[in-house]
Amino acid sequence: MSLTDSLGTNWAWVIPALCASAFFIIFPIRRLVPRIGAAVSILAILLGFALFWFVLVGLLSDGPGAYSINWLTVGDTTLKWGVVVDRLSVTMLGLVTFVALLVQVYSLAYLTHHGERDPGFGRYFAFHSLFAAAMLTLVLADNLLFLYIAWELVGLGSYLLIGFWHERRSAAEAAKKAFVTTRIGDVGLFIGIIMLFKATGTFDISTIIHVASQPDGINQATLNISVFLIFLGAMGKSAQFPFHVWLPDAMEGPTPVSALIHAATMVAAGVYLVARLLPLYELAPTVLLIVASVGLFTFIFAGTLALVMTDIKRVLAYSTISHLGLMMLALGAGGLGAAIFHLVAHGVSKALLFLGAGSVMHAMNDETDMWKMGGLRRRLPITGWTFVIGAASLAGIIPLAGFFSKDEILLHVLDHLNPVFIVLALLGVVLSALYMARIVLVVFFGPPKIENESAHESPLVMTLPLILLAFFAATVGFLAFNYTNDYPGFGGFLEGHGEFKLTIWLTVASLALAVGGVTLGWMTYRSGTISHRRLAERYAWIHKLVINKYYLDDAIQWTIDKLVLTFGGFVGVFDRVVINDTGADGSAYTVWLSAMKVRLVQTGRFYNYGMLMAGGVVGLALVWWIVQT
Amino acid sequence: MFSGWLTTIVFLPLAGAIIIALFVRGDKNVRWFAGIISLAELVLSIAVFAQYDLGAGADQFQLVDKIEDWIPVESFKVQYFLAIDGLSAPMVLLTGILGMVSVFASWSVKERLPEYFMWLLILQSAVMGVFTSMDFFLFFIFWELELIPMFFLISIWGSKPNREYSAMKFLIFTLLGSAFMLVGILVLFFSFDTFDMTLLPDAISRGGILLPASLVFTMIFIAFAVKLPIWPLHSWLPDAHTDAPTAASVMLAGVLLKMGAYGMLRISATMFPEVMAGIAWLLASVGVINILYGAAIVLRQTDLKRLIAFSSISHMGFVVLGLSAVVGVNGQVSTVGITGAALQMFTHGTITGLLFLLAGFIYERTHTRHIPHLGGLATRMPMLTGALVLAGLASLGLPSTSGFVSEIHVFLGVFPVWSWLTAVGAFGVVLTAGYILWMIQRAMFGPENQHLNNVSDATVMEMVPVAVMVAAIMVVGIYPAIIADVFTTGIQPIVDSLQIAVTANLQ
Repeated sequence: MSLTDSLGTNWAWVIPALCASAFFIIFPIRRLVPRIGAAVSILAILLGFALFWFVLVGLLSDGPGAYSINWLTVGDTTLKWGVVVDRLSVTMLGLVTFVALLVQVYSLAYLTHHGERDPGFGRYFAFHSLFAAAMLTLVLADNLLFLYIAWELVGLGSYLLIGFWHERRSAAEAAKKAFVTTRIGDVGLFIGIIMLFKATGTFDISTIIHVASQPDGINQATLNISVFLIFLGAMGKSAQFPFHVWLPDAMEGPTPVSALIHAATMVAAGVYLVARLLPLYELAPTVLLIVASVGLFTFIFAGTLALVMTDIKRVLAYSTISHLGLMMLALGAGGLGAAIFHLVAHGVSKALLFLGAGSVMHAMNDETDMWKMGGLRRRLPITGWTFVIGAASLAGIIPLAGFFSKDEILLHVLDHLNPVFIVLALLGVVLSALYMARIVLVVFFGPPKIENESAHESPLVMTLPLILLAFFAATVGFLAFNYTNDYPGFGGFLEGHGEFKLTIWLTVASLALAVGGVTLGWMTYRSGTISHRRLAERYAWIHKLVINKYYLDDAIQWTIDKLVLTFGGFVGVFDRVVINDTGADGSAYTVWLSAMKVRLVQTGRFYNYGMLMAGGVVGLALVWWIVQT
Repeated sequence: MFSGWLTTIVFLPLAGAIIIALFVRGDKNVRWFAGIISLAELVLSIAVFAQYDLGAGADQFQLVDKIEDWIPVESFKVQYFLAIDGLSAPMVLLTGILGMVSVFASWSVKERLPEYFMWLLILQSAVMGVFTSMDFFLFFIFWELELIPMFFLISIWGSKPNREYSAMKFLIFTLLGSAFMLVGILVLFFSFDTFDMTLLPDAISRGGILLPASLVFTMIFIAFAVKLPIWPLHSWLPDAHTDAPTAASVMLAGVLLKMGAYGMLRISATMFPEVMAGIAWLLASVGVINILYGAAIVLRQTDLKRLIAFSSISHMGFVVLGLSAVVGVNGQVSTVGITGAALQMFTHGTITGLLFLLAGFIYERTHTRHIPHLGGLATRMPMLTGALVLAGLASLGLPSTSGFVSEIHVFLGVFPVWSWLTAVGAFGVVLTAGYILWMIQRAMFGPENQHLNNVSDATVMEMVPVAVMVAAIMVVGIYPAIIADVFTTGIQPIVDSLQIAVTANLQ
């Protein structure tokens, strides 16, 4: 048997292990030979991507696999580190390794300004390897505890990379915000996991699902609460309202990092978690409805924000939040395949858009204000046209990836949820098309501005990933169809049942709305038929509300500053005044005072002592006499 | 029986201190001599830990050093009895690690150097004695002996102007606690005519104690509660920590607090399982109060060492919370939560020890502990920053560090018993993430600070203790069984006796 034959699902664990080893190799040498560090990191992820194909082939020929090793014995339970290789995890493997690979290659040039490498070059690639290793472990984990460990390490990776330029105050702040915000959700996840452990005695995901599906498996209330708490964790990582506040700030990291976070790692984790546990959620319909509602609300809410932001990366960030909401909506409608399909389509498109934005910033000395750009498609043709493809994909224009995936989601929403959901979801589709038209038209079309006179196209290391991603953003969608009998379309392939279907009127309606949105955008931001400035003036209060992010960030900041910190201060004062000064020093002072009084007795005069002694003797004698008789 | 290992490990630092006092001259020689002693002590502690036999048929108490009639007065029989079991073996290792770290952390001390290292070594002897004594009176002697070096370390080498106040406060609090404990010990002796800690649990369970068991329990428990410290007996801790020199802070946070937790396991839970199970609700509540109260206060701290001190109160709350699993669930006591408490002793010792060590290094360079005056240090101190980030992440319980291992044990063990309280306590984890990352961000990150542009990174000598601590944190984080399995063998007998008590209570 040759090596290539034996490379199958058993090798899946090697992929994260490669990246983890890369981290441990690079970290010590990061400052001595940063370029070798970068090479090691890219080599590891490249091998991982190659291995993904073998794992995929193995999966298709041999079916799913799972294996584990023991880690720690807690009481009667042995905790394991185990890997599950099925269609869901392998899809994620492909997405993560592919996007991470392109992002890392792109970073080679992005972190080099005018021939000068960033001082943290080696560290940057070390963190990338760690981040990828954590995310790859997360998607392969077969038990919730192992998943939680990887989950937290993904958080660590994002913390380190968002705060990569730590000498920038805003970057350090954003890194902390991302970590702490997601940690709030993680507490829910953690308690949820422990509740499921208490109910079933195991962390193993398939066993938990099996137990829960038995008629008397898990108490319904326990199940509801635990999966809801787990959803809180997913809301944190996948930036669902109101946990989304960390994601727009996370753009303080280098732009390729944003591409990675928004496309393949970090935010994908929450969607993946809910998808992985979807059988549990389906046993808790109430919670599933919450998932759908949160997703829908986030979809529209973030869409309105994307419409008014002027920072190119912020627009993209809110667009990500919005589309993550759409994925959650899909999961809430039970559409596992649709959600993951959109995760992949969005991942490819959004990575493309962020890398494109990075290319623009690279050309314009890190300018991010889109109103200072304009007509850039002439100066940056490759960046410009690939960006158009990515944006059109997310706007839902046929025949790009986003069109197909979004369509599947809408179909599930139509079939499984209240009609209100589909109506609002279609509204979200218009918003998506509108803000994507806005960003493309303002940045790349129209007359070039003076500010970007010196802008020039990025080097090939940066444009090549753009071209590759654009290719996939244009073609991934065609996976939706059922070409052969063995392949029932992407959704059916992923879920293992069901087949590709189409509801013509819905497809036409959603496409019409998307085109309508783009046309509206054209009229507003290109031809000038509608003046967005006048609109903003007429509905000034709405504009003010939205541009201030509905004051949500301010409200949270206020809560932290005024409530949490004040409470902390109050406890601190209580500790000083009541516990310490009164309780400890106060009693000490009382003792000292009484000691001072006792000192008065010690007069040093012989007859005083004599009197006391005599009294004592008499007293003792009395006691003795009483005891005797 | 006399294997000699433990006698060596307990008295080697003391002997070193005497040799320094009598023979060693010159600061450099003293420093190196103390360094070698502490290294030898570390090697010994690793050897002792490695020798501990986990096998099924192994004795519970191993490496016994026993002289039965050490104080051969008929009415007051005190044995010289040292031994280790699964509970004390990791604590010996911890003391060895932190003893070495504290000596190497003191490389830049200049004032009254021979005296300083003497006290530091004596302190290490005393703590080793506490963790290995199996005679209650001997235990008490070591328990009290530890106070003297710590008192002098704080009051002579501490930071002005409050060092005398802090040292005295530390002394008075602990002495008050131990006064109660002494009475408790004597009551036990007068009841059963022995100080032998391996015999007392059986004797007490058979009855015949002169005072009510709950009263004796309370007297002994107070001493441990002060040491741990349990809210509201904690107010000595922030002051002592803030004013102590770096090495003393490391020892104080790393091992001295653990003496309280160790005592609760070794004595309170082992000798009085019924009473302990009876106050489990109190332990759970106080544990959660410790966690949240400490964390809430930390949120507003701007003094680097004070911040870490209050975070210690918060994290020691996890020990108390873990102990609250003694009552079991549905009449079944499990080792998980209690093992978590024991693990938390070890992991908090290494993590907070490292935090104090780094805070000390930063203070030496910048001459300020006021966090808003720091900032922008990361570029100039990449190694210290890296270590601080790692220690901070371990402190907030990031998986793959040891902090996570103990927290998951505590939560897994206690959640089935006290679900709501545990869930509330879990919010301490968020607060910890908030203040630790805030501290790192403000102290190390941000634009370079013009006032601090001549600071330097850690020297090689300083990186030695840092590297040892980082290794301890990562090894336990990645392969926790190395410590957890040992603790479990020590905790199993405790759980067995708790199980009997809980079962009896149910019937």
